[in-house]
Order: sequence, then structure tokens, then C-alpha cells
Amino acid sequence: MANDSEKNIGVLMLGAFALFMIGVLGTCVLPFFDSAINTPTETAKLKNYPANSGEARGRAVYIREGCHWCHSQSVRPVKADSKLGPVSVPGDYYYDKIPLIMTQRTGPDLTWVGSRYSPEWQYEHLNNPQKFYKGSIMPKYNYLSEQDKRDLVAYLMSLKPAPKTSAGAAAGR
Amino acid sequence: MSAVAIRPYTTAKIFIYTSIVWLLLGMILALLVAIKSIHPDFLTYNRWLQEYFTYGRLRPLHTNTVLFGFLSPAYFAMWFYIIPVLCKTSLYSERLGVFTAWAWSAVYAVGMVMLFMGRQVPVEYSEMPLVIDIPIIILVALMSYNLIRTILNRKERILYVTLWYFLGTMVWLPGIYIVGNIPGAYVSGIAQTSIAYTWVHNIIGIWFTPAGVGTIYYLMPKLTGNPLYSHKLSLIGFWTIIAFYIWNGPHHLVNGPIPLWLMKAGIIPSILLIIPVWTVLANVIGTMKGAWYKVAENLELKFMLTGALFYFLSCIQGPFQSLMGPNAVLHFTYWTVGHAHMPLFAGFGLVAFAGIYYALPRIIGRQIYSRALMNWHYWLSVVGFLIFAFAMWLAGVLQGFGWMDGNQVGAAFVRIVESLHIYLIARAIGGTFMFLGAITFAWNIYKTATAGKQIPVEDPLPAL
Repeated sequence: MANDSEKNIGVLMLGAFALFMIGVLGTCVLPFFDSAINTPTETAKLKNYPANSGEARGRAVYIREGCHWCHSQSVRPVKADSKLGPVSVPGDYYYDKIPLIMTQRTGPDLTWVGSRYSPEWQYEHLNNPQKFYKGSIMPKYNYLSEQDKRDLVAYLMSLKPAPKTSAGAAAGR
Repeated sequence: MSAVAIRPYTTAKIFIYTSIVWLLLGMILALLVAIKSIHPDFLTYNRWLQEYFTYGRLRPLHTNTVLFGFLSPAYFAMWFYIIPVLCKTSLYSERLGVFTAWAWSAVYAVGMVMLFMGRQVPVEYSEMPLVIDIPIIILVALMSYNLIRTILNRKERILYVTLWYFLGTMVWLPGIYIVGNIPGAYVSGIAQTSIAYTWVHNIIGIWFTPAGVGTIYYLMPKLTGNPLYSHKLSLIGFWTIIAFYIWNGPHHLVNGPIPLWLMKAGIIPSILLIIPVWTVLANVIGTMKGAWYKVAENLELKFMLTGALFYFLSCIQGPFQSLMGPNAVLHFTYWTVGHAHMPLFAGFGLVAFAGIYYALPRIIGRQIYSRALMNWHYWLSVVGFLIFAFAMWLAGVLQGFGWMDGNQVGAAFVRIVESLHIYLIARAIGGTFMFLGAITFAWNIYKTATAGKQIPVEDPLPAL
């Protein structure tokens, strides 16, 4: 019934490792060689924040407070996302060290939120979301330090598409 | 404990006890998260509570606690119990095993504090920082070393299929942990996202799935008294699980900002995944032949069979969601929450419960304190999960179609949020049932360990 290789744990573990590596090569290594992924778009360049700028610090606050658990950052080419603005392309995330695409929209998508509201509105909304939307289930972020709030607003305001340029049009955007 | 020899299976026992403690904590966190989604001002009476108990910090604490506090150690316990039994030998080093068991909980406790302080990495299930990831990998390597030495010392020449699955997990768990947690810290862009989702999918796909399936294959013959229906089928399942699951990462990014070839590379294996799932189900049903009546009496079998059934259902749902059409509606909605809980809690969670109920009496020589409480645990878990999951699935569908009507931003979005209020309440109720089940479970195990009826040495439980 059982042949000898079935009793050899070396054969088994090598086979298990080989199949594992094939999948890792296909889905984790190959993407590094795709030109759509490794060419930054104009939008990506806009989001290449200098170290210790307000936007970069704001992004760190965004991650620390777990904003990404409720807000996605990816506009899909589907009907549901048609009101959100330009569709996200791989190159948009070129400089994002850990892109914040995420899996939930408990709150709205924030890909282009910077082009929708004013900084003042963002600041007030962080302090008390229920002031604007009574049924909102977003927690109040009034406990953040003044600096953190300003950085977070700077980050949110930076989330917008790059102005259309000839280079952008040539890239088909 | 320097001179005193450690009793056999102590490692498994410690893993079982610690996993139950973490389970309770993970469920308390879950309940807090659920209540905060209903009422955002819950538990925000002062600044400290507001900051440290904010939803964005509690959510990763919940997922990590159940995954790395409860479910992983529960399956480590299965490793440390089943492998020596199947090899008809004792563990290579019980002392090393006990060390790894305590160290795992200690490392996770530190990781938990770091998450609580806000040191999170924004990758699902990989939130713990690098300083925690490295000791975790070392501990898994130590456990694997211990168990592989045990298998090499085996008195039984045949490698039963459970050993295949467990040996596989010893390759894949460290493999996927390294792939998912280490390079992600150094690279940027979509390639990193693809790595992140390969990890998100495969912590379930090639760790909990093969560990759970291995446990099912071990428990099936023991609980039914029938031999495994087909050895060959289980081996086909083994090779196809690794061949297809590992490719599934990109299906989380269907319709997302990835190239089309990568989407296809994720979707096609997601559908092929039905093959390994079917081999498991066929084997379970085949082995049950002539033993179905035992489900009424044998509570361990009831847990295990329900777990296998929910595993099957999640793997019907998974390929369906990976298709571009359904994904366009369901992605980013609450549907995902319902789906994610099915394999983890209702599938391999129930299988882990069955394994614990089966193994613990044989380790400590005491019978389960109360079969009635066990039955309560079963029904609270299953009914609670069904309320929870159907609330989330319905909410997800409503949310998805609501967005298709153009309600994606501003006040229109909040109207959808308000309309889902009732489903979030239903989720919290279902979750409360699951939590009560876990309390019943913990109490029952506590009483078993302290006041369970001693099993006489001359008439031990079968199969130890």
C-alpha cells in the first residue's frame, strides 16, 4: 500500500518546501519584476513624503491609532466605487512603505479624501465625528495631542490625485 | 523541577491551559470591539481609556490574541500530544517542550503589550513588531526540532497521514511567518501588499488548515471506531493543499490595484482549492459510514464533525468571493468579517475544542467533569456563531449593494452605516453566545483538572 518514500520524512519535507516556494515565487517575488508595479505614478511622487514632514508623522499617527482598520485606501474599477474618483493603479503605491489598502470600509474609503474636505473640516471631524454625522460610529479622536491632530490632518489632506500633466496623460491616466 | 522528571505530555497540557486563558481574553476583547461598533462612546470615560481602548488598537489585539494566543497553542498542543502517540514513543525532550510552551505565552504577552501601546504594523494578522516576530520564529523552530527528533525516534515505521500534515505545518508555519513578517518591513509598494496578503490568507491556509485537517484525520478513526476511509485521498489532499493554498494571497486584491496576471494567479488556485477540500470531506463522510448514530452520544465527534462541515462551507464561500463579480459587491464589507470567523472559529476552532476534550482526559487521567456543560459549550458556540455570521453576511450584502447605488461618501455613507446598526447588535449578541460557550468550556476544563473523576490506571481510556 504505502511505498518507501511515504515513510521518509526527508522526501516529504523537501516536497512540502518546494511546493511552498513555487507559490511564494509566483505571488511574492514575481510582482517585483512587473513594470506596472515598479514605475511610480505622479500621484505616488506626491505621496513620497520627506522624512519627518507633517504628512509622514501623520501617517505614523494614522497607523498607531489603527485608522486603517476601518478605512480602505483603494478605488476599484467597479460600479460601487464610481463616485470615489480616479481608480487606483499599482504605481500609486510605489513609495508607500506598507500600502494601506486594507480590507474593511466600516468608514468611507480615504484614497482621495484630501480633495473632498477642507483641513478645518477634517480637524473638527477628528475631534467629534458625531457633530457632522449623528449616526457615525467613528470614535472621537479629541484625546490626540494638538501636534498629532495637525499631522494627521496634513496626511489626510495629502491624499489626492496629482494634477493632470502631460506626463500623466501619456501614461494613460 | 531540576531533578524531577517531567511527566509525559506536560507540554501539551500547558499549551491547552494557556490557550484557554488566551481564548477568554480574546473573546473579552472581541466583545469590546463589537460594542464599540454599536456605540462609539462606550468605554471612553477618560483620556486613558479613550487612547488605549480605541477600536483601532483593540481590533488587532483581538485577532492576534485568538490567533496566536488561543488557536496556535491549541494546535501546538495537538502536535505535542498526537505526534508522540502516533510514533509510539515519548517526546524527544519534554523539558524543551515545556520551555517552548511557556515562552510562547510570554512572548505573546509582550507582543500584546506592544500592540496595546500602538506599536502596530498595518498588515492584518502581522501587527506585532519585528522584535516579537523573531522570538516567535525561534520558538517554532525549537518545537519543530523537538518533534522531528521524536518522529525520527519512532517505534512505528508507517507515517500516518496526520504526521504528514503535521510535518508539513512544521515547514510551512515558519516559512510563511518569515515570508509574511520579515521582508515586508524593508520593501514598499504593491509587491509588499502581495506579500502581506499571501501571509493573511496562508496563516489560515497552510497553518491552521493542515494542522486542523491533520487533527481531524487523527480523531476520525478514534472517535468513530472505523479506519480512515481512504489513505490515498488524504495524500492527494495533502499535496493539493500546499500546491493551491499558497497561491491564494492575491485573491484578496481582486479588482484592486494589481496587474491582471496577478489576479488570475490568485483566482485560479482559489477555485482549484475545492479539490483538497473535497478530499477532506469525502474522507470524513466515508469514515463516518455506519457511525453516524454515534454523533448523538459522542460529543467530541459532534464538535469535530461540525468543525469539518464549517471548514467545507468556508471553502465553498472562499472561491465564490474570489470571483470578480461577487468580489465587487462583497469586498470591503462586513461579509468578510463573517467569512473570516467561519474557518477560524466555527471550523478549526471547533476541531481544536474536540481535540482538547479528547486529549486532556488522556493526559491528566481524569474524565471530563461535565458532559452537559460540554453540550452547552457546543450549542452556545454553534448557535452564537450562526447568529454572528448571518448578521455579518446580511450586513455585508446590504452594504455592498448600498454602495452600488452610489452611497460611498459623506452623509449617504453614514445612512448605510445607520441602517446596519441592528446587524451590529445581532453580531454582539451572537458573539456573547460564543463567549458564554467559551466560559462554559473554561469552567469545565478547570473542574476537570481539579475535580474530574480519576480514570483508574488498570482501565485507562482507550488509545493512550
